[in-house]
Amino acid sequence: MFKSILMTGVLLMAAGVAQAGTIEMKVNGLVCAFCARGIEKSFHKNPAVADVVVSLEDKLVAVQTKEGTDIPDQELRATLTDAGYDIKTIERTDSPVAAIRERLKSLAK
Amino acid sequence: MSRALKLGVASAIALAAVVPVISSAKPIAFAHGTTVMAEYGAGTMEELQIFYAPRYFYSVGGGHLALQSDIDGRSRDITYARFNYLVKRWNREDSQANVFAWGGAGRANLSESSDDEFTWNAGFQVDYETRRVYASLKSDLYESSSFSHRLDTLQLAVAPYEHEYDGVATWLVVQGRRYTGEISDGTETAILLRVFKGAVWVEAGATTDGKLQAMFMLNF
Repeated sequence: MFKSILMTGVLLMAAGVAQAGTIEMKVNGLVCAFCARGIEKSFHKNPAVADVVVSLEDKLVAVQTKEGTDIPDQELRATLTDAGYDIKTIERTDSPVAAIRERLKSLAK
Repeated sequence: MSRALKLGVASAIALAAVVPVISSAKPIAFAHGTTVMAEYGAGTMEELQIFYAPRYFYSVGGGHLALQSDIDGRSRDITYARFNYLVKRWNREDSQANVFAWGGAGRANLSESSDDEFTWNAGFQVDYETRRVYASLKSDLYESSSFSHRLDTLQLAVAPYEHEYDGVATWLVVQGRRYTGEISDGTETAILLRVFKGAVWVEAGATTDGKLQAMFMLNF
Protein backbone atom coordinates (compact mmCIF):
# COMPACT_ATOMS: atom_id res chain seq x y z
CA MET A 1 0.00 0.00 0.00
CA PHE A 2 2.72 2.40 1.07
CA LYS A 3 4.75 1.47 -2.03
CA SER A 4 1.87 2.15 -4.40
CA ILE A 5 1.14 5.57 -2.81
CA LEU A 6 4.84 6.42 -3.06
CA MET A 7 4.97 5.32 -6.71
CA THR A 8 1.87 7.34 -7.57
CA GLY A 9 3.39 10.40 -5.92
CA VAL A 10 6.70 10.00 -7.76
CA LEU A 11 4.89 9.53 -11.09
CA LEU A 12 2.73 12.61 -10.51
CA MET A 13 5.78 14.70 -9.61
CA ALA A 14 7.67 13.42 -12.64
CA ALA A 15 4.73 14.27 -14.88
CA GLY A 16 4.67 17.81 -13.48
CA VAL A 17 8.38 18.36 -13.94
CA ALA A 18 8.55 16.76 -17.37
CA GLN A 19 5.85 19.07 -18.70
CA ALA A 20 7.61 21.34 -21.14
CA GLY A 21 5.64 24.32 -22.32
CA THR A 22 5.25 28.01 -22.62
CA ILE A 23 4.72 30.56 -19.88
CA GLU A 24 2.78 33.58 -21.06
CA MET A 25 3.00 36.66 -18.86
CA LYS A 26 0.99 39.84 -19.22
CA VAL A 27 3.30 42.65 -18.13
CA ASN A 28 2.61 46.21 -17.04
CA GLY A 29 4.87 49.07 -18.14
CA LEU A 30 5.93 47.43 -21.39
CA VAL A 31 6.02 50.51 -23.65
CA CYS A 32 9.66 50.89 -24.79
CA ALA A 33 11.69 48.27 -26.69
CA PHE A 34 15.02 49.83 -25.66
CA CYS A 35 14.13 49.56 -21.99
CA ALA A 36 12.60 46.09 -22.32
CA ARG A 37 15.84 44.49 -23.52
CA GLY A 38 16.62 43.52 -19.94
CA ILE A 39 13.71 41.07 -19.98
CA GLU A 40 15.15 38.99 -22.81
CA LYS A 41 18.66 39.25 -21.36
CA SER A 42 17.57 38.10 -17.91
CA PHE A 43 15.49 35.15 -19.12
CA HIS A 44 18.24 33.93 -21.44
CA LYS A 45 20.51 33.61 -18.37
CA ASN A 46 18.07 31.07 -16.90
CA PRO A 47 19.13 27.51 -17.88
CA ALA A 48 15.47 26.43 -18.04
CA VAL A 49 14.68 28.89 -20.84
CA ALA A 50 14.71 27.77 -24.47
CA ASP A 51 13.18 30.83 -26.14
CA VAL A 52 11.70 34.22 -25.30
CA VAL A 53 9.38 36.53 -27.18
CA VAL A 54 8.36 40.05 -26.17
CA SER A 55 5.43 41.96 -27.61
CA LEU A 56 4.76 45.59 -26.74
CA GLU A 57 1.44 45.54 -28.58
CA ASP A 58 0.14 42.57 -26.55
CA LYS A 59 2.01 43.61 -23.34
CA LEU A 60 3.21 40.02 -23.42
CA VAL A 61 6.37 38.18 -22.45
CA ALA A 62 6.31 34.49 -23.43
CA VAL A 63 8.98 32.08 -22.30
CA GLN A 64 9.40 28.56 -23.62
CA THR A 65 10.97 26.22 -21.11
CA LYS A 66 13.25 23.35 -21.96
CA GLU A 67 11.94 19.79 -21.85
CA GLY A 68 11.48 18.66 -18.24
CA THR A 69 11.82 22.09 -16.70
CA ASP A 70 9.58 24.80 -15.29
CA ILE A 71 10.14 28.17 -13.67
CA PRO A 72 8.27 28.91 -10.42
CA ASP A 73 5.98 31.96 -10.44
CA GLN A 74 8.06 33.60 -7.73
CA GLU A 75 11.17 33.38 -9.94
CA LEU A 76 9.26 34.75 -12.93
CA ARG A 77 8.10 37.73 -10.87
CA ALA A 78 11.63 38.34 -9.56
CA THR A 79 13.06 38.27 -13.09
CA LEU A 80 10.53 40.77 -14.39
CA THR A 81 10.99 42.99 -11.35
CA ASP A 82 14.77 43.01 -11.89
CA ALA A 83 14.15 44.00 -15.50
CA GLY A 84 12.01 46.88 -14.23
CA TYR A 85 8.49 45.60 -14.86
CA ASP A 86 5.49 44.13 -13.05
CA ILE A 87 3.71 40.90 -13.94
CA LYS A 88 -0.05 41.16 -14.20
CA THR A 89 -0.93 37.54 -15.02
CA ILE A 90 0.90 34.25 -15.56
CA GLU A 91 -0.54 31.49 -17.71
CA ARG A 92 1.02 28.18 -18.75
CA THR A 93 0.07 27.06 -22.27
CA ASP A 94 1.03 24.45 -24.83
CA SER A 95 1.59 26.98 -27.65
CA PRO A 96 5.25 27.00 -28.65
CA VAL A 97 6.91 30.43 -28.57
CA ALA A 98 7.61 30.08 -32.31
CA ALA A 99 3.86 29.89 -32.92
CA ILE A 100 3.26 32.95 -30.74
CA ARG A 101 5.99 34.79 -32.67
CA GLU A 102 4.31 33.89 -36.00
CA ARG A 103 0.92 34.95 -34.66
CA LEU A 104 2.32 38.32 -33.57
CA LYS A 105 3.99 38.81 -36.97
CA SER A 106 0.75 38.09 -38.83
CA LEU A 107 -1.15 40.51 -36.58
CA ALA A 108 1.45 43.24 -37.27
CA LYS A 109 0.95 42.96 -41.08
CA MET B 1 20.88 72.46 0.85
CA SER B 2 20.98 75.39 -1.55
CA ARG B 3 17.85 77.30 -2.46
CA ALA B 4 18.20 76.11 -6.08
CA LEU B 5 18.35 72.45 -5.05
CA LYS B 6 15.41 72.85 -2.67
CA LEU B 7 13.44 74.41 -5.53
CA GLY B 8 14.46 71.52 -7.82
CA VAL B 9 13.38 68.84 -5.35
CA ALA B 10 10.12 70.70 -4.67
CA SER B 11 9.45 70.94 -8.44
CA ALA B 12 10.04 67.19 -8.86
CA ILE B 13 7.67 66.35 -6.03
CA ALA B 14 5.06 68.77 -7.38
CA LEU B 15 5.30 67.34 -10.91
CA ALA B 16 5.13 63.78 -9.59
CA ALA B 17 1.96 64.71 -7.75
CA VAL B 18 0.38 66.33 -10.79
CA VAL B 19 1.34 63.50 -13.11
CA PRO B 20 0.57 60.41 -11.05
CA VAL B 21 1.79 57.93 -13.68
CA ILE B 22 5.02 59.21 -14.88
CA SER B 23 9.88 57.10 -18.40
CA SER B 24 13.50 56.95 -21.30
CA ALA B 25 17.06 58.06 -21.36
CA LYS B 26 17.38 56.54 -17.93
CA PRO B 27 20.41 56.40 -15.65
CA ILE B 28 19.42 52.85 -14.66
CA ALA B 29 18.68 50.25 -17.34
CA PHE B 30 17.96 46.90 -15.68
CA ALA B 31 19.63 44.63 -13.13
CA HIS B 32 23.18 43.75 -14.28
CA GLY B 33 22.84 46.18 -17.17
CA THR B 34 25.39 48.76 -18.29
CA THR B 35 24.42 52.09 -19.83
CA VAL B 36 26.79 54.28 -21.82
CA MET B 37 25.60 57.77 -22.75
CA ALA B 38 27.32 60.49 -24.75
CA GLU B 39 25.80 63.89 -25.43
CA TYR B 40 26.85 66.91 -27.47
CA GLY B 41 24.84 69.94 -26.46
CA ALA B 42 25.01 72.74 -29.02
CA GLY B 43 28.63 73.69 -28.23
CA THR B 44 27.67 74.52 -24.65
CA MET B 45 27.98 71.12 -23.04
CA GLU B 46 29.53 67.73 -23.78
CA GLU B 47 29.00 64.77 -21.48
CA LEU B 48 30.04 61.14 -21.33
CA GLN B 49 28.55 58.78 -18.73
CA ILE B 50 28.83 55.10 -17.90
CA PHE B 51 26.71 53.34 -15.27
CA TYR B 52 26.34 49.75 -14.09
CA ALA B 53 23.17 48.65 -12.28
CA PRO B 54 23.66 45.79 -9.75
CA ARG B 55 19.89 45.95 -9.09
CA TYR B 56 17.02 47.50 -11.01
CA PHE B 57 16.67 50.36 -8.56
CA TYR B 58 20.21 51.71 -8.41
CA SER B 59 23.30 52.16 -10.53
CA VAL B 60 26.85 53.36 -9.96
CA GLY B 61 29.33 54.87 -12.32
CA GLY B 62 30.78 58.13 -13.42
CA GLY B 63 31.08 60.70 -16.09
CA HIS B 64 32.77 63.71 -17.54
CA LEU B 65 31.01 66.99 -18.24
CA ALA B 66 32.55 69.85 -20.19
CA LEU B 67 30.74 73.19 -20.03
CA GLN B 68 31.63 76.10 -22.29
CA SER B 69 30.12 79.48 -21.56
CA ASP B 70 28.77 81.29 -24.60
CA ILE B 71 28.69 84.49 -22.51
CA ASP B 72 32.32 84.95 -21.46
CA GLY B 73 34.13 81.88 -22.83
CA ARG B 74 34.77 80.28 -19.41
CA SER B 75 34.94 76.51 -19.36
CA ARG B 76 34.53 73.81 -16.72
CA ASP B 77 35.75 70.24 -17.01
CA ILE B 78 34.04 68.15 -14.37
CA THR B 79 34.88 64.49 -13.76
CA TYR B 80 32.65 62.73 -11.26
CA ALA B 81 31.53 59.48 -9.64
CA ARG B 82 27.77 59.15 -9.20
CA PHE B 83 25.10 57.03 -7.53
CA ASN B 84 21.69 56.87 -9.26
CA TYR B 85 18.56 55.75 -7.46
CA LEU B 86 15.10 54.88 -8.73
CA VAL B 87 12.87 56.67 -6.23
CA LYS B 88 9.58 55.45 -7.65
CA ARG B 89 8.30 53.60 -10.71
CA TRP B 90 4.74 53.28 -11.91
CA ASN B 91 4.17 50.39 -14.30
CA ARG B 92 0.71 50.67 -15.81
CA GLU B 93 -0.90 48.70 -18.61
CA ASP B 94 -0.14 51.36 -21.26
CA SER B 95 2.51 53.52 -19.62
CA GLN B 96 5.56 53.68 -17.43
CA ALA B 97 6.65 56.56 -15.24
CA ASN B 98 9.73 57.07 -13.11
CA VAL B 99 11.33 59.36 -10.61
CA PHE B 100 15.11 59.10 -10.41
CA ALA B 101 17.50 60.97 -8.14
CA TRP B 102 21.27 61.03 -8.10
CA GLY B 103 24.25 62.48 -6.38
CA GLY B 104 27.99 62.35 -6.64
CA ALA B 105 31.32 64.07 -6.26
CA GLY B 106 34.45 64.67 -8.25
CA ARG B 107 37.02 67.17 -9.44
CA ALA B 108 36.56 70.23 -11.58
CA ASN B 109 39.05 72.07 -13.71
CA LEU B 110 38.25 75.73 -14.35
CA SER B 111 39.57 77.76 -17.28
CA GLU B 112 40.24 80.70 -14.95
CA SER B 113 42.32 78.66 -12.49
CA SER B 114 45.21 76.23 -12.84
CA ASP B 115 44.14 74.19 -9.78
CA ASP B 116 41.48 71.47 -9.73
CA GLU B 117 38.83 71.75 -7.06
CA PHE B 118 36.32 69.50 -5.32
CA THR B 119 32.84 69.48 -6.81
CA TRP B 120 29.62 67.71 -5.91
CA ASN B 121 26.51 67.14 -7.96
CA ALA B 122 22.88 66.23 -7.44
CA GLY B 123 19.88 65.92 -9.68
CA PHE B 124 16.61 64.28 -10.51
CA GLN B 125 14.56 63.12 -13.46
CA VAL B 126 10.84 62.67 -13.72
CA ASP B 127 9.58 60.94 -16.83
CA TYR B 128 6.42 59.54 -18.34
CA GLU B 129 6.06 57.36 -21.42
CA THR B 130 3.47 55.57 -23.49
CA ARG B 131 4.12 54.06 -26.93
CA ARG B 132 3.14 57.40 -28.53
CA VAL B 133 3.97 60.11 -25.99
CA TYR B 134 7.09 60.86 -23.94
CA ALA B 135 7.83 63.61 -21.44
CA SER B 136 10.76 64.14 -19.11
CA LEU B 137 12.09 66.82 -16.84
CA LYS B 138 15.67 66.57 -15.68
CA SER B 139 17.70 68.86 -13.46
CA ASP B 140 21.44 68.58 -12.81
CA LEU B 141 23.24 70.71 -10.27
CA TYR B 142 27.03 71.04 -10.08
CA GLU B 143 28.56 72.97 -7.19
CA SER B 144 32.05 73.88 -6.11
CA SER B 145 33.56 76.69 -4.08
CA SER B 146 33.96 78.69 -7.32
CA PHE B 147 30.84 77.88 -9.30
CA SER B 148 27.24 76.78 -9.24
CA HIS B 149 25.73 75.49 -12.48
CA ARG B 150 22.35 73.94 -12.99
CA LEU B 151 21.17 72.35 -16.24
CA ASP B 152 17.41 71.99 -16.54
CA THR B 153 16.17 69.94 -19.51
CA LEU B 154 12.58 69.40 -20.57
CA GLN B 155 11.78 66.94 -23.36
CA LEU B 156 8.40 66.41 -24.97
CA ALA B 157 8.11 63.80 -27.70
CA VAL B 158 5.60 62.07 -29.93
CA ALA B 159 5.97 58.88 -31.94
CA PRO B 160 4.37 58.84 -35.42
CA TYR B 161 3.70 55.13 -34.99
CA GLU B 162 3.78 52.56 -32.21
CA HIS B 163 7.05 50.63 -32.40
CA GLU B 164 7.30 46.91 -31.72
CA TYR B 165 9.97 45.11 -29.72
CA ASP B 166 12.00 43.97 -32.77
CA GLY B 167 11.34 47.11 -34.80
CA VAL B 168 12.79 50.58 -35.18
CA ALA B 169 11.36 53.23 -32.88
CA THR B 170 11.10 56.79 -34.17
CA TRP B 171 10.30 59.83 -32.05
CA LEU B 172 10.06 63.55 -32.77
CA VAL B 173 11.39 65.47 -29.78
CA VAL B 174 11.22 69.09 -28.70
CA GLN B 175 13.83 69.93 -26.09
CA GLY B 176 14.18 73.02 -23.96
CA ARG B 177 17.28 73.57 -21.82
CA ARG B 178 18.33 76.31 -19.43
CA TYR B 179 21.70 76.85 -17.75
CA THR B 180 22.48 78.83 -14.63
CA GLY B 181 25.84 80.27 -13.56
CA GLU B 182 26.51 82.32 -16.72
CA ILE B 183 26.92 79.39 -19.09
CA SER B 184 24.22 80.49 -21.46
CA ASP B 185 21.36 82.99 -21.38
CA GLY B 186 17.76 82.16 -22.08
CA THR B 187 16.30 78.86 -23.13
CA GLU B 188 18.04 76.70 -25.71
CA THR B 189 15.33 75.05 -27.80
CA ALA B 190 16.09 72.10 -30.05
CA ILE B 191 14.15 69.86 -32.42
CA LEU B 192 15.42 66.30 -32.43
CA LEU B 193 14.84 63.02 -34.18
CA ARG B 194 15.16 60.04 -31.84
CA VAL B 195 15.68 56.56 -33.28
CA PHE B 196 16.38 53.34 -31.43
CA LYS B 197 16.56 49.66 -32.18
CA GLY B 198 17.98 46.85 -30.09
CA ALA B 199 20.62 48.18 -27.72
CA VAL B 200 21.35 51.39 -29.65
CA TRP B 201 19.69 54.77 -29.19
CA VAL B 202 20.56 57.82 -31.31
CA GLU B 203 19.08 61.29 -31.00
CA ALA B 204 20.14 64.20 -33.23
CA GLY B 205 18.88 67.56 -34.36
CA ALA B 206 19.54 71.26 -34.09
CA THR B 207 18.78 74.17 -31.82
CA THR B 208 16.70 77.04 -33.15
CA ASP B 209 19.96 78.97 -33.81
CA GLY B 210 21.32 76.12 -35.90
CA LYS B 211 23.69 74.36 -33.49
CA LEU B 212 24.03 70.60 -33.39
CA GLN B 213 22.40 68.74 -30.52
CA ALA B 214 23.02 64.99 -30.36
CA MET B 215 22.88 62.05 -27.97
CA PHE B 216 23.99 58.43 -28.22
CA MET B 217 23.15 55.68 -25.77
CA LEU B 218 23.96 52.01 -25.49
CA ASN B 219 22.43 49.44 -23.10
CA PHE B 220 24.05 46.06 -22.62
